[in-house]
Amino acid sequence: MEQGIIENLIKELSKLPGIGRKTAQRLAFFILSMPSEEAKSIANAILEVKEKARFCKNCFNITDEEICSICRNNSRDSSKVCVVEEPSNIIVIERSGVFNGLYHVLLGALSPIDGITPDRLKINELIERVRSDSVQEIIIATNPNTKGEMTAQYIREVLKPYNIKVTRIAYGLPIGGDIEFADEVTLGKALEGRREI
Amino acid sequence: MLTRTEGIVLKTLPYGEADLIVSYLTPDYGLLKTFAKSPRKIKSRFGSSLEPLTYSRISFWGKEHASLPRLTQSDILHSFYLLRERMDYFFKIIEIIELTLNFIQEMDANKKIFLLFLDTLRLIEEDYIYIKKSFNKEDAFNISRIGLLVNNYKVKFLKFSGFAPKIDSCGRCGNTGNNFYISQGSVLCESCVKESSVLVSGGLSMIRLSLPVIKFYNALMTWDTRKIIRIKPSMNLLEELSNVLNLHIKYIISKPLKTRT
Repeated sequence: MEQGIIENLIKELSKLPGIGRKTAQRLAFFILSMPSEEAKSIANAILEVKEKARFCKNCFNITDEEICSICRNNSRDSSKVCVVEEPSNIIVIERSGVFNGLYHVLLGALSPIDGITPDRLKINELIERVRSDSVQEIIIATNPNTKGEMTAQYIREVLKPYNIKVTRIAYGLPIGGDIEFADEVTLGKALEGRREI
Repeated sequence: MLTRTEGIVLKTLPYGEADLIVSYLTPDYGLLKTFAKSPRKIKSRFGSSLEPLTYSRISFWGKEHASLPRLTQSDILHSFYLLRERMDYFFKIIEIIELTLNFIQEMDANKKIFLLFLDTLRLIEEDYIYIKKSFNKEDAFNISRIGLLVNNYKVKFLKFSGFAPKIDSCGRCGNTGNNFYISQGSVLCESCVKESSVLVSGGLSMIRLSLPVIKFYNALMTWDTRKIIRIKPSMNLLEELSNVLNLHIKYIISKPLKTRT
């Protein structure tokens, strides 16, 4: 019986990304050795996020209220909106500490071959924001791959009539990397996007 | 077993946290699906080599005939990154990618199709570079020959894969005719249609083809791609042929191409 519940926990934990059976086993035995309160707190946190998490009405970030904390923050620059593919991208950009504007999550990227067309993304909602809010600059921070690039171009096209500044995050080499190992496309883009120092 | 070949990336599918399943069109293995570990990480050694349309020399590791071998190396031979620069160009190219993915099977090598795909990409790139240098960037798509090259690819691809529609003459008796019956994949002459009560009572969908489109189709079937780019068909002619081909493809794969909907 005990073997059954441990086995069940291992099976459930191994469903998480990046967690194989061995890691799941370690985690399961760690949870077993934890004080009951801590284990309950983890379980509650999981349940709470599943029950309360929803998309922000404005930007489609994940929040537990109608409007997310970033959109509610009056000290942020509402004239700049950074467009990202997924809510997880916001966390990374926020960690950089360089951007103080608002966000807009598309919840995906254009991919006609997979049937992901503009109407399945939050692009109309972005146009609506540009129309109604005092947005002056849209920074497109979709992934630097083909799908992200196509999405960026599409957004640039649909925002043309609104005469606002549309910018794209720069391409280049990762900090700490070696030029020797860079591929020709990345290096070519880095050279194209060079700037005076 | 470590295997080496050349391939063009047709499609990538995110898998897990940072992995990808990469579908290649190869001359030796037909459609080849490989598993690439962590290419979505910024410092991945794969760099941009797994982006769609990239032509690379690849190595993969796996048991013979096992599915999803592990991609160990990918060296770019030609990136075709220019073709990913413009949305209108790339969306047209996606049509031929989707067509290829729908017909080509894994481990079903077809060198002719591989060379046709590669040649088509090269010609579209040459066309794009020429137009980009000569004309206003915005006009490039309207003046370009991408429509012709995409139609040429579709016709030759269907021919090489054994699914080409019969347009030049009646599929039953060989007489001339210009009514194309989609379910028959062929033109049928009036006498053959009258003879076949099934066809008449079935109310099968038919397209009346113009003489220029029949001639144009025959040219695409027989002429070399390098010669094809010298002709300048009208937009109407391209549209008419494209319509026939798409209905034919839709009938064969029992669904419309996503890129056409």
